[in-house]
Amino acid sequence: MPTTPVYAFSRDAGNNRLILLLLGIGFAALIAAVVAVVVVQRQAERDAYWVEHTLDVEASLNRFVRHAERVETARRGMIIAPREQSFYQIADSAISQAEREMAQLNRLVADNPVQIRSVTGLSKAFEAYANRARTTAAEAKLGIVKVASLDADTATQSIRFIRSFSDRMLEREDRLLRIRNLDQDRTRNLLSAMLGLCGALIIGVSIAVILIIRRNIGEIDTKRRELHLLNQELESLVDARTSELQRANAEIQRFAYIVSHDLRSPLVNVMGFTAELDAARKAIADHLAKSEEALPENVRMAVDEDLPESIGFIRSSTQKMDRLINAILRLSREGRRTLSASQLDLAGLVQAIIDSLQHRIDETGTTIEIGQLPALESDRLALEQILSNLIENALKYLQPGRPGVIRIDGNVAHGRAHIHVRDNGRGIEQRDHERIFDLFRRSGTQDQPGEGIGLAHVRALAYRLGGLIEVSSEKGVGSTFTLSLPLKFQAGVADA
Amino acid sequence: MPESLAVNIVMIEDDEGHARLIEKNIRRAGISNAIRHFTDGTTAIDFLWNDPHGPAHNGPALVLLDLNLPDMSGIDILAKIKGDAHLRRTPVVVLTTTDDKVEIQRCYDLGCNVYITKPVNYENFAEAIRQLGLFLSVIQVPDAEGDA
Repeated sequence: MPTTPVYAFSRDAGNNRLILLLLGIGFAALIAAVVAVVVVQRQAERDAYWVEHTLDVEASLNRFVRHAERVETARRGMIIAPREQSFYQIADSAISQAEREMAQLNRLVADNPVQIRSVTGLSKAFEAYANRARTTAAEAKLGIVKVASLDADTATQSIRFIRSFSDRMLEREDRLLRIRNLDQDRTRNLLSAMLGLCGALIIGVSIAVILIIRRNIGEIDTKRRELHLLNQELESLVDARTSELQRANAEIQRFAYIVSHDLRSPLVNVMGFTAELDAARKAIADHLAKSEEALPENVRMAVDEDLPESIGFIRSSTQKMDRLINAILRLSREGRRTLSASQLDLAGLVQAIIDSLQHRIDETGTTIEIGQLPALESDRLALEQILSNLIENALKYLQPGRPGVIRIDGNVAHGRAHIHVRDNGRGIEQRDHERIFDLFRRSGTQDQPGEGIGLAHVRALAYRLGGLIEVSSEKGVGSTFTLSLPLKFQAGVADA
Repeated sequence: MPESLAVNIVMIEDDEGHARLIEKNIRRAGISNAIRHFTDGTTAIDFLWNDPHGPAHNGPALVLLDLNLPDMSGIDILAKIKGDAHLRRTPVVVLTTTDDKVEIQRCYDLGCNVYITKPVNYENFAEAIRQLGLFLSVIQVPDAEGDA
């Protein structure tokens, strides 16, 4: 029977490969999703950092502008009210704050060459402006401030320049902010898209795998049901065959019984009247012996030789026939005996058989070995008869000139007990392997007494026990008879 | 002549040869009682119950019965005899080829007096019949009508 390879997910290799491929895609998608999330997340972090950075720059710039404006306010205050001391203090502190802010701004824009240039420009402008403011302060203290017009004042121009310059810078930062915000949005969208894609892939693959596996499970289920059905059919077939066999067996037993009885009846007549005939012949012979007249040679021959010879043959044939009929009768009677199962100690049983044959064993110098024997539940008497027949046969048909070795052992396989009786005897020719189990059939040189009944009996008993008997043998080498029996005998219909 | 001479022997045996051998050996044993031979069950039953010379109406008898008859089983005849008020004391000798233990037991259970298996060995058979003859010469058979 060809064996079908079994795959993890499916009965055929194609489906199996497909499922493995789909599962592979699923896992790859999962890994890709994780990688994408990590990469995109880091991108998002970077984006957020830059957005924040831009905001920092803007804030710093705004603070700087505010300080610069305060310087200007204070300077104007000095011009208007040169005696008011607070303006000088405000201007000083605002200048230093603006310078600190400028340093901060410098640090913040270190990454951007364009902004570095702008900041440098701004820084220079403020430096110039701060100098002008200090000059104004010094002049105000001395009371020599002359303001013709604010528009003509270089400091005012300077602060205006700073104002517009920083506005442009803010605008630039704003543009940067917009771009960076867009970047951030794009990254976020990318992340969502990738996650969505991977999710869809995983879901798709899962559905495909589930569908295929479901289909396979369906197939397996169908096959299992088919198998179950087949099994049941097989069982009922076996039951039908068994009951047929048992009916046939019972029929044969009845037939044998009737035949043997009905054959006996005429045999009684043949034997009886042969005896009568012999008695009559004796009477004639006695009479002739007493008479004095000379007998013709043929009459004397007939009475003294021919008749006794014929009668002798009739007798011996009838006796043989009687033995055969008795054998059939015994067989049929054995076949009708009710079998009963009991737990058997096979080793003890075999030992008892060997003890009963000890005389012949010693006589022939045969070695008997008893190996491992299985435990089984069967009919004791039937098994005793089977084994004693087999062992007796082994002992009977030894190879002349070779010390006999008979080994009895067994094992359990496939839920049945197997008992082997091996010998190194004369063996049985291949063509006789079936014949020897037939009634009255024997194999090889007919140098041993027997009617050819033993093995027929053995086979009938084996069948009744629900078993089988087989022989494997090579002429001149030895024979092995194997009896296989159910571990537990169950009385069938024929034994009811 | 002793009283037992009056006993009729009723032989129910379908095999002519067996009947002849049985008769020969009974005669050899020195028994000269009349022997009525029937080869089937129906005529035998008719004789036993209805014939004016049969045991039911006329004198004691001894039945030699074969179990394998063409028209019925000898067991049925045995049961009928042993179940009949007139004939149940009539001795029945079952003489058959069947040596089945169950069969033998059944015959004794039904009231059979002697069960003899016909052996193929003629000497044993002849001996058994002669013994039966001796047995016949000494047994007292009840008068069937006497206790009716």
